[in-house]
Amino acid sequence: MSIEVRGLNKKFGDFVALDDVNVSIPTGQLTALLGPSGGGKSTLLRIIAGLEKGDSGTVNIEGVDATNLPAQKRNVGFVFQHYAVFKHMTVAKNVAFGLEIRKRPKDEIEHRVDELLKLVHLSQFSHRLPSQLSGGQRQRMALARALAVEPSVLLLDEPFGALDAKVRKELRDWLRRLHDDVHVTTVFVTHDQEEALEVADEIVVVNEGRVEQVGTPDQLYDEPANDFVMSFLGEVTHLGGVSLRPHDIELDTQPRLAGGVEGTVSRMVRIGFEVRLTVLTVDGDEVSVVVTRTHARSFGLEEGSTVWLTPADGATLIPRMAVAG
Amino acid sequence: MIWFSALVLIPLAAIVVTAIDGGWGIFWNTITNGQTLSAIKLTVFTAAGVTLVNIIMGPLIAWVLVRDRFWGKSVLEVMIDIPFALPTIVAGLVLLSLYGTDSPLGIDIANKRPAVFLAFLFVTLPFVVRMVQPVLEELDRDVEEAAASLGANRITTFRRIILPSLTPAIAAGAALSFARGVSEYGSLVLLSGNLPFKTEVTSVRILSSIENDNVAGAAAVATVLLAISLTVIVVLDLIQRRVAARG
Repeated sequence: MSIEVRGLNKKFGDFVALDDVNVSIPTGQLTALLGPSGGGKSTLLRIIAGLEKGDSGTVNIEGVDATNLPAQKRNVGFVFQHYAVFKHMTVAKNVAFGLEIRKRPKDEIEHRVDELLKLVHLSQFSHRLPSQLSGGQRQRMALARALAVEPSVLLLDEPFGALDAKVRKELRDWLRRLHDDVHVTTVFVTHDQEEALEVADEIVVVNEGRVEQVGTPDQLYDEPANDFVMSFLGEVTHLGGVSLRPHDIELDTQPRLAGGVEGTVSRMVRIGFEVRLTVLTVDGDEVSVVVTRTHARSFGLEEGSTVWLTPADGATLIPRMAVAG
Repeated sequence: MIWFSALVLIPLAAIVVTAIDGGWGIFWNTITNGQTLSAIKLTVFTAAGVTLVNIIMGPLIAWVLVRDRFWGKSVLEVMIDIPFALPTIVAGLVLLSLYGTDSPLGIDIANKRPAVFLAFLFVTLPFVVRMVQPVLEELDRDVEEAAASLGANRITTFRRIILPSLTPAIAAGAALSFARGVSEYGSLVLLSGNLPFKTEVTSVRILSSIENDNVAGAAAVATVLLAISLTVIVVLDLIQRRVAARG
């Protein structure tokens, strides 16, 4: 294990940011800390980096007890949501900063900076100032700067949070490919479940200062430990005492399948290829159902139609909790 | 541009024209006059010295105001501006009663050169502080944390990251502080005694020239002051650009 966090607690005044957190982050993998805003995931990352101190508990990085080490001695790379560029330095100088502090020979620094700028596709911008770069380019520069010191772990705090949707998606794919090339243990914080599911090898779901579940994207999606994880990773609806995904509900206009629940379509919204239905069942439930447009058309669905709903075969079902997410 | 011309350029040009009108002879005689020269020297060196002190103390005070939390901070915040708000002659009175012949502190610098230094220091205090403060407030903590995570200690972070961001503000504050020092009159006129060759500054010298109906002479001294101030402001600007570019 590359990072071991044990019994970590952190309070800001009365607010409990982390409540007895235990996490192990595997070496060489891309791990996502996923959770809603204010859930403690950024605090956890900052404590690992040494930018914040836990009230109690230990942090171990690559077998070294780092609990009381200051940030500059931990050899972690950190990437900030708002880039944290050194405004008065050129792109090349930004990337060289960590190496210059380590007093590496000049030609070695130059060589390494060239190499890194090539890696993040910024070679032609090396003499520009950060203010002359776009947001996505600045974040790639920040990444090169963090990688320059060959950190034992790379930590990214909502790295794409300040970028627009299209650039965010590009950078996300690019980060995945970069990680496949560089293989440094990487942890990134995100509140975007799609981002985590798409990029990460492993996901740690953090909510209200606690770790809810740890697993691969498939495990989390298919076998959520609780209602919270299930609802956070995707849409959830409730049908006859179980929670399940709206697209895992089979719909028919005839009571053909056993155990079908009868209901009336009360609302119908078409978004691109899918159709979202709200069905009021005879049990008094309000169920969301997603079907394809073709499917909806073949049944001739419209508001007011009577339908029968059943959970699809192989659907993820978990018993509904008292307070549904 | 018209606004700027009316307010600044035309009066300045008028001074230079008046100085030239008097003829080169008067101009040269006035500024090479021993008493004038000594006044110019005193003014410029004292203003330069005071500016140096402000360059060091200003950012320090600004740092304390922005980053530290302590009891009475908001009071201090207001106090910084008092030299701005106080009519300079009142400042002069305060200084005279504190550091004059009947000083309650036992420090008597009346009619001595430190009086000029002290008066300059008093009136120029806010300039660097107030220029640096907003820049320091805007400075991202992220950037300092990024430097730390890359292995920089506090001193390196300050020298390589924070200071370059503050340099333009410090330079601008220093230019203002110098210019204010050179032009200061009210706050020192009481305490310094205006002794020729000793504590007489240029602004006092200009006034006495005018009182003696020597307008050309006054304009000549003013032109020299103008040239010096302009040079200092340009030099500070150049230094600032150099430092900012070096990183």
